[in-house]
Amino acid sequence: MKLDNVFKKTRHSSGRKGYISLNSAKPEVPEGLLRKCNKCGGAIISEDVKSDYYICPKCGGYFRVHAYRRIEMVADADTFEEWDADLTTPNPLEYKGYEEKLSALQEKTGLREAIVTGKARIDGTEVVLGVCDGRFLMASMGEVVGEKIARAVERATQERLPVILFACSGGARMQEGIVSLMQMAKTSAALKLHSDAGLLYISVLTDPTTGGVTASFAMLGDVILAEPKALIGFAGPRVIEQTIGQKLPKGFQRSEFLLEHGFIDGIVERSALKETLSHILLVHESGRTHAGEAAGDKAAGSGAEYGGMTKEGAPDAGNGLSVNNRLAKAWDRVLLSRMNDRPVGSDYIRELFTDFIEFHGDRYFADDKAVIGGIARFRGRPVTVIAQAKGTNTKENIERNFGMPSPDGYRKALRLMKQAEKFRRPVICLVDTPGAFCGLEAEERGQGEAIARNIYEMSGLKVPVLSIIIGEGGSGGALAMATADEVWMLENSIYSILSPEGFASILWKDSSKAKEAAEVMRLTAEDLYRMGMVEQVLAEPSTYTIENLKEVTGKLASKIEDFLNRYGEMSEAELTKHRYDRFRSM
Amino acid sequence: MIKKVLIANRGEIAVRIIRACREMGIETVAVYSEADREALHTKLADESVCIGPAPSSESYLSMDRIISATIITGADAIHPGFGFLSENSRFAELCEQCSITFIGPNSKVIAKLGNKQEARNTMAEAGVPVIPGSTEPIYDAAAGAEIAAEVGYPVIVKAALGGGGKGMRVANTPEEFEQSFLTAQKETRMAFGDDTMYIEHFVQHPRHIEFQVLADHYGNVVHLGERDCSIQRNHQKMIEESPSAALSSKLRMQMGDAAVRAAKASGYQNAGTIEFLLEKNGNFYFMEMNTRIQVEHPVTEWVTGIDLIKEQIRIASGKKLSFGQSDIHLNGHSIECRINAENPAKGFRPSPGTVTDMYLPGGKGIRIDSAIYSGYAIPPYYDSMVAKLSVWAKNRGEAVRKMQSALGEVIIEGIETNVDYQYEILNHPKYLSGDVDIEFIAENEKTLAQAVSKASIV
Repeated sequence: MKLDNVFKKTRHSSGRKGYISLNSAKPEVPEGLLRKCNKCGGAIISEDVKSDYYICPKCGGYFRVHAYRRIEMVADADTFEEWDADLTTPNPLEYKGYEEKLSALQEKTGLREAIVTGKARIDGTEVVLGVCDGRFLMASMGEVVGEKIARAVERATQERLPVILFACSGGARMQEGIVSLMQMAKTSAALKLHSDAGLLYISVLTDPTTGGVTASFAMLGDVILAEPKALIGFAGPRVIEQTIGQKLPKGFQRSEFLLEHGFIDGIVERSALKETLSHILLVHESGRTHAGEAAGDKAAGSGAEYGGMTKEGAPDAGNGLSVNNRLAKAWDRVLLSRMNDRPVGSDYIRELFTDFIEFHGDRYFADDKAVIGGIARFRGRPVTVIAQAKGTNTKENIERNFGMPSPDGYRKALRLMKQAEKFRRPVICLVDTPGAFCGLEAEERGQGEAIARNIYEMSGLKVPVLSIIIGEGGSGGALAMATADEVWMLENSIYSILSPEGFASILWKDSSKAKEAAEVMRLTAEDLYRMGMVEQVLAEPSTYTIENLKEVTGKLASKIEDFLNRYGEMSEAELTKHRYDRFRSM
Repeated sequence: MIKKVLIANRGEIAVRIIRACREMGIETVAVYSEADREALHTKLADESVCIGPAPSSESYLSMDRIISATIITGADAIHPGFGFLSENSRFAELCEQCSITFIGPNSKVIAKLGNKQEARNTMAEAGVPVIPGSTEPIYDAAAGAEIAAEVGYPVIVKAALGGGGKGMRVANTPEEFEQSFLTAQKETRMAFGDDTMYIEHFVQHPRHIEFQVLADHYGNVVHLGERDCSIQRNHQKMIEESPSAALSSKLRMQMGDAAVRAAKASGYQNAGTIEFLLEKNGNFYFMEMNTRIQVEHPVTEWVTGIDLIKEQIRIASGKKLSFGQSDIHLNGHSIECRINAENPAKGFRPSPGTVTDMYLPGGKGIRIDSAIYSGYAIPPYYDSMVAKLSVWAKNRGEAVRKMQSALGEVIIEGIETNVDYQYEILNHPKYLSGDVDIEFIAENEKTLAQAVSKASIV
């Protein structure tokens, strides 16, 4: 039955008289009640947006946040103290109409310039904050923006405070010409001094971060975070499209693209931003005091202790090997080290550390998922932990390239180690790789150089470095994360110049003789311990899986504690000398 | 005064409101989702506006779209019906901000009564009896267990923002408590995005008795007697009647007074319902106040002769109540059966589909409120209630026989319905005797199901 236009409509009658109007106003939507989402186009209730971190309730898109609102969102209530609020631009090019434009904007936004700087507390930690406000000439960086950042950073250096800058900018300010360009140098130089003083700078990139801002302070953070889907790039997408005459792919220059390409440490939802910042600040805060104490103790560290320690670290007995295990064939151990259900790097991170926060990217090309790294606490003390990461299933293994790092992975590891050195955190590496990735792209990007660079830099790293081989220690790919003060091995892990298959293939022209090769290569933990290549061998349960991981990590943790105590007392010179001697004697 | 009403709802209640408006000479605007192009309310209204795709979150629950449709069509009032946005204080507030008359109480009252804890406190202060229970919100099981012990087992755990049986669990013993609490809280979090719970003494085998009230903008409040909604399945009402066989006129007066006090204490305006639990010993406790028109309002209309939808519109237009409490007399007896597109043989699973043929009963004292017609395809996205059959007669016995007769005539082809199931309830000795409580269905589920299958074989 079709019901189109069959029913009679309402006929106006006299039956509506006698009502008193309660509501004389004509229905209309008052100004500002609803707004349009510029991402999905949907109408949204303004108040809903405000109460939800300025996020569209329909599409989840992020609205730009005014500087003072942003400060409210991350800083503890009433702790913000603004600096240099009154700086204004002298119009260096005497650009016509610029002053009028600025005063019109000042009136409209209530801001003096495009950035707000000052000091605040985040969960109690004192920080210097700078927040761009896109309403003011797209927060382009003119002299005042550059000057305010430079002053804030200088003051942070003086007062030994961390800096957090929220970037949101179209880039340099055209109206100020070359003066604007120089702000890139001014801000970067101020940050260099801040960094040289061993202080932390966290850069938070929000939509949009482009041009001269990207090419200066925004990309210089010790830690660089970004909001989801923010546009981040040097040249704007429209300019690129016009130049190359092509349409850009979807997601190009967005936060997720930058993460994949290794330029940012992580993407953080707005609701989790304060917590994340606070977490990073706290780990660095205690790092600072720890380093301070260590520096004070420097004189106490003595050669005598160091000598005693090596003895202590190399007892002949007591490595806990069971008789059965002692008799196991090398090839059996090769197979065990490669077992699918053997615990992997991420399992150890979860079990041994707390407050782990992963940092991504090499800042050059990519974020290699075959290497996981970041900061964490080990029994309360801040450490940098880096693991070669095998997956726990086929899908994850494909994603993690079966634990075979690319040059980007080694460069990420090195970046994190240098960061650890700056903040005086010990480095703990978990080694588990069949070898460095062997492929076209790896060679193109300099696999050999990347490994060499890691070995070179690690040998001189001024903080304690411990490497633990938890599975396969495949050749240079392993050494690039095992040029350490001490190298420990799990009982059924292996460490060798190359795989037994490769060894057999090169020397005997027959890769099927891998089993025989394994027996002659001396790649087991026991062999290597006897040869003095490793300091400790850690016993494993006969069937070792995630189920009984705790049996291993329990003992491992107390040994790590002991390691950190012993090496934490050494001066930088002693540390690097000890590491030099370790390899010099091999 | 109200000239044009937008009905922010669908189904039979939208049709019911359109009819009332038309009788009052008020123009109507229907809103509909893409799944409701062929729905009766879409066709029946003077104007219809499509407000989005089938999922109600993008159509009947989309506040901005409904407000926009109101402005565009020049309607000056919104009737929210029941369900959807009817008890959403945020929506009522938006209407207020946009100078649109929301046919119902104001947003503050909705917010106050929508928060069960606050509602309870308001009632307790006004001297309306409440079930002993927690006075503060509870967020974890351990704190809950302490309160439960004070209140006395059995206890029921409920969601502060709950409704429709979601986020509710009974714990008979302290041992059961943690499990019940966690399950209820999990459901609550999923359904309402909130995990505020409260706990109260669980009243065993009560009747569900609710009182209809009307309150104008001038402080006049009357009650229109009770509805007995004890025939429920999983907290969903199936049959409602008025008056209740369990109320003496003295008890009716006590409960009615309490209902009026409740409405006055909360500053109530428009039509509302105060739900009570009535224990066998005659103790009654305030459960909640529904700040909207109810599904079962026809039984009250039958016994009082008052058109509740029209009264709602009159009150919203600023008219004083034209009658006082002494003008209201409950006359005869009325029963309503909800007819749902669902399959009782398969756990009452919803049974959407096309109504290929239908025949509905009529005659003296029989009323059908429905939005289905022959050839109508019932969409799967919404509530499964497709019709309400209500009857009136001089007394309960006659009303029951009239309902039995009417149910026996209902033919709805193409979909499964609960009509046969309702028919068996209407013939159940316990129901006939009037001795029922809210556990009736749960306790007689097996015999009812057997009776239905036996009858369908014959």
